[in-house]
Amino acid sequence: MNKKIIEIEDLVKRYPMGEAEFTALKRINLTFEKGEFAGFVGPSGSGKTTILNIIGSLDTPTEGRVSVEGEDVSHLSEKASARLRKEHIGFIFQSFNLLPVYTVFENVELSLLLLKQSAAARKKAVTQALEWVGLQDMARKKPPQLSGGESQRVAIARAIVKRPNIVLADEPTANLDAENAHIIMRTMQRLNEELKTTFIFATHDEKVMQYLKRKIHLLDGYVDKDEILESNTVES
Amino acid sequence: MIKFIFKGLIRDKSRSLLPILVIMIGVFLTVGMTGYIRGFIEDFVDQNARLQTGHVNVVTKAWAENESMMPLDLALLGVDTLLTELQTDFPGYRWSPRIRFGGMLDVPDENGESKKQGPVMGMAVDLLSGNTDEIDRLNLKTALASGHIPREPDEVMIGEELAKKLELKPGDKVTFIGSTMDGSLTFQNLVVSGTIRYGVRQMDNVVMLLDLRQARSILDMEDGATEILGYSKQGVYSDEEAGKVRDAFNAKWSGSEDDFVPVMRRLRDEPTLGYYFTYINSFSGMMIFILILIMSIVLWNAGLLGGLRRYNEFGIRLAMGEEKGHVYKMLLYEALFTGIIGSVVGTAFGVAFTLFLQYKGIDISGMIQGGTMIMPNVIRAKFSPDLLSIGFIPGVIAMLIGNMLSGIAIFKRETAKLIKELEI
Ligand SMILES: Nc1ncnc2c1ncn2[C@@H]1O[C@H](COP(=O)(O)OP(=O)(O)OP(=O)(O)O)[C@@H](O)[C@H]1O
Ligand SMILES: [Mg+2]
Repeated sequence: MNKKIIEIEDLVKRYPMGEAEFTALKRINLTFEKGEFAGFVGPSGSGKTTILNIIGSLDTPTEGRVSVEGEDVSHLSEKASARLRKEHIGFIFQSFNLLPVYTVFENVELSLLLLKQSAAARKKAVTQALEWVGLQDMARKKPPQLSGGESQRVAIARAIVKRPNIVLADEPTANLDAENAHIIMRTMQRLNEELKTTFIFATHDEKVMQYLKRKIHLLDGYVDKDEILESNTVES
Repeated sequence: MIKFIFKGLIRDKSRSLLPILVIMIGVFLTVGMTGYIRGFIEDFVDQNARLQTGHVNVVTKAWAENESMMPLDLALLGVDTLLTELQTDFPGYRWSPRIRFGGMLDVPDENGESKKQGPVMGMAVDLLSGNTDEIDRLNLKTALASGHIPREPDEVMIGEELAKKLELKPGDKVTFIGSTMDGSLTFQNLVVSGTIRYGVRQMDNVVMLLDLRQARSILDMEDGATEILGYSKQGVYSDEEAGKVRDAFNAKWSGSEDDFVPVMRRLRDEPTLGYYFTYINSFSGMMIFILILIMSIVLWNAGLLGGLRRYNEFGIRLAMGEEKGHVYKMLLYEALFTGIIGSVVGTAFGVAFTLFLQYKGIDISGMIQGGTMIMPNVIRAKFSPDLLSIGFIPGVIAMLIGNMLSGIAIFKRETAKLIKELEI
């Protein structure tokens, strides 16, 4: 458990703001090892989403070096960053973001289609992913027929179906009630343990924080505190 | 992946049905209107050719220069020889000599005193030779409003409006007053055998139709005619073919300096007709262009709206590692697919409409009240194979352009921004 999967060196992110610039991330230095269950926590506007998006190569650093799976994401072409996301990174969003015209099965299947897997392989993987999140009976439903908790579980299945090394989850519980938030977190915790998938969260939800094994406190774009909480295992 | 996209396309009606309908209507209008215009031109040309100009016509050079005055003294002579020559040189055409001339009609009362008078335009064609095709060519049987077609040399038919104005009915006696070819006054007693109606002021209000031989004797122009009209035996006017015939004929006579040398002109050389031709052709071209433009704008906006609604989908696909270019390509595939379906259906409806007009027609005689041009009474369309592509290709292109424009607006933005907007 000591292979470095993400290395962040002197990361600075500035956004242009009219004439001036706004610095959202100020010299961040961090590393993540494979299999971590970590999260960025901190008040609104502290830079959680920004750093998550840079790790996920949806956004680029202004300065510094960020390498994911050994690839320097600061200099990736659009094609290469798409490939990195396609092969290694799963995303879970706050608002589920399932595609309403497709069935649960098809929503989960999409990332495998992008990987050009065969129909048989896709069927097997999707069925298994839906079993992991306990939704094997809902494969033929469409998202509008699902509850919030179920929707987010589909989103988790969609993120992990391709067995990515890293799952990035931005406020995954923000739209869920407490009970569903716990179900979601326990599901991800189990996947982290069984599949050794690295999970990185961005959250200010206490319910999420209870599960984290590492809490990185961001404050105004700085790392305020980097807590390792190996003991933080929640009753499952 | 394509299958995945099409599943979405078919399930999301606002993505498929709406653009298909827009394209369908646009293509239908393009095809239908074009067919209609084509049919209109063809009918228009046909009727003008029958009544007035022929597909080609031969007159003297001097007459051609003074045509509006209908100068009888400049008419063709030696018509029989010229006719034989034309028939040998251009066997693909039928030739009909005619005389157009001006004059007055005088209607006498019981005492032989002049009761009413009015100007007429005499139109002399072969009616009585026994093997004439002019009766069919002029559609006299259809145009006949009352009475019968002349059977005797002194029988004439007159336009129905003219008959009303002069209070004439079949069987009435009239006197024609005019001048002969060499300018002396001439009188001729004639009998109205019937009236004709073409729905065209130029015919109905002034025309007096009589037999060619009778006219020659009244006007003292033995073996003469103001014009010899030529009709392609194929029945259809072709600009190109008529032009070849004209050039061949004129080349033969090009050496002569004589004012009375015969010259040939094709239908389109008639100034008003030529103008209409050009006008209508550019009009239909412009209409197609405008339709494409409108369709593109509508689809662009529909695409933009659809794109906004699908922000979410595009953002997710990007986050999952689909390349921007691929998302864009898929969007264009969708456009191609809906464009083709809409265009196929629109073309089918347009062609059906055209064929309906071609075989059934719509009678508009009530709508045109005496224009100066010779216009057909029944609207007909004309199918030609290019109608299959004339709307189809623009339909597909409009759909592609509309989606390209809306797609560009979306994909110009950075991935990060798209994702951010998605998050809200
Ligand atoms: N595109 C942008 N242009 C300018 N400023 C931006 C942009 N994106 C983010 N910011 C700013 O950067 C800072 C960090 O934003 P970020 O979204 O990372 O915060 P966050 O910690 O995720 O907050 P929240 O908990 O509300 O989601 C904020 O002050 C935000 O206003
Ligand atoms: Mg955030």
